[in-house]
Amino acid sequence: MQNRRDFLNLLCRGTILTGLAATTGVLAYRSVKGGNCDLGTSCNNCKKSESCDLPEAALFRQTVWQLDPTKCIQCGRCAENCVMSPSAVKVTHVYAMCGYCDLCGGYLKPDTKNISTAAENQLCPTSAIKRKFVEDPFYQYTIDEPLCIGCAKCVKGCGAFGNGSLQLQIRHDRCVNCNECSIARNCPSDAFKRVPANKPYLLQGIEAKPEEKNKV
Amino acid sequence: MKQKIIIISALALLLLLIIFMVKDFFFNNPGNTNPYQFELDNIRKGDSAKAVFAETQQIKTSLEEIHGIATDTSGKIYVSGKDSVAIFDAKGKTVNKFRIAGTAQCIAVSENGKIFLGIQDHIEIWNNRGEQLAKWASLGTDAVLTSIAVKGENIFIADAGQKVVYRCHIKGYLLGKIGLKDPATGVPGFIIPSPYFDLGISKDGNLWVVNPGRHSFEKYKFNGTLLSSWGKASMATEGFCGCCNPSNFAFINDSLFVTSEKAIERVKIYSADGTFLCVVATPDQFESGTKGLDLAVDKQNRILVLDPVKKMIRIFEPKK
Repeated sequence: MQNRRDFLNLLCRGTILTGLAATTGVLAYRSVKGGNCDLGTSCNNCKKSESCDLPEAALFRQTVWQLDPTKCIQCGRCAENCVMSPSAVKVTHVYAMCGYCDLCGGYLKPDTKNISTAAENQLCPTSAIKRKFVEDPFYQYTIDEPLCIGCAKCVKGCGAFGNGSLQLQIRHDRCVNCNECSIARNCPSDAFKRVPANKPYLLQGIEAKPEEKNKV
Repeated sequence: MKQKIIIISALALLLLLIIFMVKDFFFNNPGNTNPYQFELDNIRKGDSAKAVFAETQQIKTSLEEIHGIATDTSGKIYVSGKDSVAIFDAKGKTVNKFRIAGTAQCIAVSENGKIFLGIQDHIEIWNNRGEQLAKWASLGTDAVLTSIAVKGENIFIADAGQKVVYRCHIKGYLLGKIGLKDPATGVPGFIIPSPYFDLGISKDGNLWVVNPGRHSFEKYKFNGTLLSSWGKASMATEGFCGCCNPSNFAFINDSLFVTSEKAIERVKIYSADGTFLCVVATPDQFESGTKGLDLAVDKQNRILVLDPVKKMIRIFEPKK
């Protein structure tokens, strides 16, 4: 080391070389392990997030899409915008909240003359809700899931006239967990979000009975 | 010349295509063509043709939450709510306001001016100067008291939590329970899917209790004997809508029923045998989702509707 100038020169070069080496190392690691990840792009919008080996992508894959019933405005778009046909969004009945009403706002059209199971009285366009007499004056309502198209008419009716026990949920036995959910893209109330795969449902009103969530 | 025509036609076609694309991109609202959209606005419009009452006065309560309303024989209006009770004269001027501990869901005033408050699971008795006269023991951990009626030495208390009406002596001890399901006596039992459960005493000295899950009124003797019932479930104006209605009622002209509903927020009048008579207030006069429109009738036969969303007393009188 001849003088201070040489020392500073050497220090600057060393720093630049270390930086270059580190950058090359990171890029090489990502090239080998994680494919061509676009920095600054979230996994939600990345087309390779399903095959990417990066830790954040693995974390992303452990989440699934779900609909938050507290934000849902029952606009009916879930029925038409899902890539699956019929939609992977279906109505779920939270029995713990149901009033087992005779005059069920989720089952009957508001202007119906008679309370009966006649098709013209039913609000559901596909007759996916089944009504069964339990005991006076209680009726049980069950969902015939293959028929449900997720239009949310019953959800709106139940919320307006009853306790809100009918709620829309993405059913994970049907949902293909698209990177970019086409219903989420069209949802006017931003009700869709990613939730942990081990807690995939967001039903309201049964917080006190978590075991019921697992029965869904 | 021919080439010119072709160019102009092509440009016109291109222009049309651009117009179509712009319209498709920016002016096509998918919500407008949604075949599954379910509109409830038409139902909420109500049948204003049957409304023979008009709103003539509003009294702001200045309480944080309001839940119960009652009147006394002198025409004063009592409102109970969160941590407070307010007393107004017939013109709406505040006479007194005093603090209580808790939320008084229901209120009744006896003939001698004592104020009975239902606070969650127990009854408290106050005077109109804001002095507590008595505090009764809890009626149970599941008790949700929603209505009180006082007649002589009898106090009737509606408990939505335990689905029963208690008959108590004015000194606080229990005289009996009314409305428990008993097939032998034909008492069907109360069905209360949501915490709105009202009762009242008619001029002829019988107890009337709403059975909201059955959309009906039930008439009992003070000893609990069921005498009669009426009511019809229907979304139409003539019936009671939703899962469980009416939510509240009061008597007018001694024997007529003024009723209020939730889901379709409306106030109506029925005869003593349950015949629909007229509409007092239509759903479009209330905020959507308003629940618990408690009712009272003052000595001028004005209908007082407690609007918990607007936090005011709304007074309705027959249209002139």
